[in-house]
Amino acid sequence: MKALDRKLARDLWRMRGQVLAIALVLAAATATFVLSTGVHRSLTDMRDAYYERNGFSDVFATMTRAPRSIVGEIAEIPGVRRAEGTIQQLATLDFSNRIEPVRAVINSVDEDGRTRLNRLMLRQGRLPQPGGVDEAVADEMFAKANDLGIGSRIDALIYGRRQSLRIVGLGLAPNYIYAIAPGDLIPDDRRFGVLWMGQAALEAVTDRSEAINALSIKLERGASQAEVIREVDTLIERYGGTGAYGREDHLSHAFLDNELMQLDALTRVIPPIFLLVATFLVYIVLGRMIRTERTQIGLIKAFGYSNWAIGAHYMKFALAIALLATIIGSAAGIWMGQGMTRLYAEYYRFPFLYYVIAPSVFLGAAGLSVGAAALGALGGMQEAVRLNPAVAMSPPPPPIYRAGGVERLGRMAGFTTIGHMIVRHIARWPWRAAVTVFGVALSMGLLFATMQFVDSSRTMLDSYFYRAQRQDLTVAFIEPRNADVLHALAGLPGVLRVEPMRAIPVKLSHANRTERTAIESAPEGSMLSARIDGDGNAIELPPAGLMLSKQMADKLSVRAGDRVFVEMLGGRRTAVFLPVAGVIDEFIGERVYAADATLERIARDGAPVASALLRIDPAERKRLLGKLKEMPVVLGVTERDAALRKFEDMIDENLFTMLGFYIAFASAIAVGVVYNSARILFSERVHELATLRVLGYHRSEVSVVLLGELALLVAVAVPFGCVIGYGLAHIMTDMFSSDLFRLPFAPSRASYGYSALVVLAAAGLTALVVVRRVLDLDMVRVLKARD
Amino acid sequence: MAFRACGLRKTYLTGETEVHALRGVDLAIPAGEMLVMLGPSGSGKSTLLNLLGGLDRPTSGELFYRDTELTRLDDKALTRFRRSEVGFIFQFYNLMPSLTAEENVRLVTDIAERPMDPAEALALVGLADRRDHYPAQLSGGEQQRVAVARAIAKQPGVLLCDEPTGALDSATGIRVLETLARANEELGATVVVITHNVGIAAMADRVFHFLDGAIARTDVHEHPVAASEISW
Repeated sequence: MKALDRKLARDLWRMRGQVLAIALVLAAATATFVLSTGVHRSLTDMRDAYYERNGFSDVFATMTRAPRSIVGEIAEIPGVRRAEGTIQQLATLDFSNRIEPVRAVINSVDEDGRTRLNRLMLRQGRLPQPGGVDEAVADEMFAKANDLGIGSRIDALIYGRRQSLRIVGLGLAPNYIYAIAPGDLIPDDRRFGVLWMGQAALEAVTDRSEAINALSIKLERGASQAEVIREVDTLIERYGGTGAYGREDHLSHAFLDNELMQLDALTRVIPPIFLLVATFLVYIVLGRMIRTERTQIGLIKAFGYSNWAIGAHYMKFALAIALLATIIGSAAGIWMGQGMTRLYAEYYRFPFLYYVIAPSVFLGAAGLSVGAAALGALGGMQEAVRLNPAVAMSPPPPPIYRAGGVERLGRMAGFTTIGHMIVRHIARWPWRAAVTVFGVALSMGLLFATMQFVDSSRTMLDSYFYRAQRQDLTVAFIEPRNADVLHALAGLPGVLRVEPMRAIPVKLSHANRTERTAIESAPEGSMLSARIDGDGNAIELPPAGLMLSKQMADKLSVRAGDRVFVEMLGGRRTAVFLPVAGVIDEFIGERVYAADATLERIARDGAPVASALLRIDPAERKRLLGKLKEMPVVLGVTERDAALRKFEDMIDENLFTMLGFYIAFASAIAVGVVYNSARILFSERVHELATLRVLGYHRSEVSVVLLGELALLVAVAVPFGCVIGYGLAHIMTDMFSSDLFRLPFAPSRASYGYSALVVLAAAGLTALVVVRRVLDLDMVRVLKARD
Repeated sequence: MAFRACGLRKTYLTGETEVHALRGVDLAIPAGEMLVMLGPSGSGKSTLLNLLGGLDRPTSGELFYRDTELTRLDDKALTRFRRSEVGFIFQFYNLMPSLTAEENVRLVTDIAERPMDPAEALALVGLADRRDHYPAQLSGGEQQRVAVARAIAKQPGVLLCDEPTGALDSATGIRVLETLARANEELGATVVVITHNVGIAAMADRVFHFLDGAIARTDVHEHPVAASEISW
């Protein structure tokens, strides 16, 4: 090893505390990068492989009932590589030991194994055989959640008929990676599942001999999806088709896509913050190091080392930190990535899901660390290169303080002598003080932005579950009913109030944009439902025209006052122009509302009741659920409280895990910044501190010089951190919002307090570590040695 | 007696070698005297000065300041001793660069028991008109005089000076020595000066000659000369 490299190794060891503190900040960047890009990549790779291997289709369509022969016609459409027809039937399952209703969607599979699209992947058992009328394959996670295995029997109410099903296999399919019941937001494997039955068996039980109600289409490479959809829509229109759609509108695909988008947002927002702080830290630490090593640098140059060799020496110091950070960060990133992947495996059904350790991810992470550290080292390097050896070997001139604004201010404010020392030192090195303030503020901002996520989710939850939904139960019907069903429900035990929810599927168009959706309505003076805007106000339905959620309005690019073209899908297929009466700033979904009268105008007769909202007497809940289970028209019952609990569990599990990571990360910044500032401060002032001790100042009084400056900077950083956090939270809520839901910006005041407390605690503990050096100060030795 | 000591020993461990800085020193320094300590580098002068000032503790032996046994004081009490009784002056001044001349003096008067007015202390060293200057704006001699003002402002019982003129030219050095002599006469402080400059010994009441960690010889001057008359 060359002598200069040996010096490097010893410098790194001597300054190990500072080196580690910077490395931790850089490691946080690396870890987030490795975590989010790694998980993103793992999910994408596995999704793509799964889609490819099991033939996830490109276009989907449902209709009321179409002859099987339509599949051949669809296959003839230019651009269609393959088309398959299936039956998809919603059913109610009756578990004798459970009172709450369980819903399932049953898909048909070809018993002869000819299914190529959205192919079922068997995990256990076998496919239903020809003639096996009661045989079914159950979704693996649903089976696990409900203790079902091969040979288990379930009583199902399918299309109004009771049928006992026998589980012959467990499996999963690429069109149900994210499996949620219609109208739900998150999976509940105990209450909703996916089943597969033989085609003939399902045809028989749903009265659809040689008929289908769902289409899966795989496109040729380069085919126009819009073109195919248009042709498919024309063909299925007469069979009650509700419009074909691509993967982007496929629920499972869209949810997964949303998750990937959030991971991507994470990669773009978080690592740059850490990288920025780390760059500044390297800059100030190396700058200080070069100032203290002036004489050595002069000496080395006098020996004949080139400027390049000296510059490279200090650059290597920065690169060593980057290397350490890459190792720590990658290890932490892999560990967290594996944890996160396991978490995903609870919500997403993949045949295999593991964290892929891709070399390119680590190369990228190393590139970021090295880049940030090298950038920070440039300033110091330049200074070392520029030093004239003759000048460098003479002792440095004393730092120059002059009377300025700060001095006058301090004198007027009546500072103590120690107070002057603190404030003037800050004024003398304003940039370094700014880095400390900025770093601590960023750390707090990051923490605040993360905590705001919890507030945001809670606000969304509050708006959706407490203000918008005031019912206890939502009863979904097998197919839309007329108003008679409401009377039947009102007569059940424990029902206090019944309100219909009407909805008709439509296609909305404005300029060149088109969206498939449903127009929902609620009765005038509804007590069980409300539409709540972003500020928590209930918004009345407009007497005429449509009210669009903001996300839908953005997608169609319309504002209040514009007119949209409304085509009813199915039913009478009416087409009318309607004005946009208002836009409502909702959190969940892209929805369209209209008053009952408007709905009737589109449907041309009494709009069907899609579901009913019930307020019930809690004491009668069990009996009522039992009665509902027996009603053939009832497809399923959603309990608001159960959905709420499920949602809260998800927040607790996911957000709090994330929060844990970010508290650690933000603390890493605070610790890194405060530790380095304190160490530099200490090394700069060690003579002054020792002199104060000699003059008769006690240790605690001397510590004030060090702690006072840090405390002042941290105190300034806190309000600044609130501002950064406010901005960062805004950016993050925007980036994390998707078509599925929009996160409100709704920080609670406590979040400002908590984030400040965490940062203050991290800063305080770190400062105490450095203050220990003041306590151990050897006056004699310090005063003898000059810098 | 300002100080008396018996069998003072101080052993340092530098790396793996033991350094015997003081090898059993007995001494008595009468209050109000001016004492000069001479001797080659490493002979133990600074070590003794640090012990007298309560900056360090002997390895063994007894050391009294008036009636207080310094060797028995804990760290807090030693700090209190320095705060009330001791004024230090160093070769390299050790001023706070961020404080003006007056504020550097105030640093001591803020915590002293019977301080003089900082302006008065600066006037005593002839720097009344430089009170608002920062160290970087003062010459070496002026900085050292600020250090002297800082040391005498608390009206200490003892002034300990480690090479106070080591970094100064002769004219400036003599001015500093004059200030020390004035403090000795007017405030009645015991003044201990370490120096390599043999000429300075002429102004002392008593001179300790150090060699190899012990006092080899003590000279007592009946008629010390004035600072202005010493040969540099």
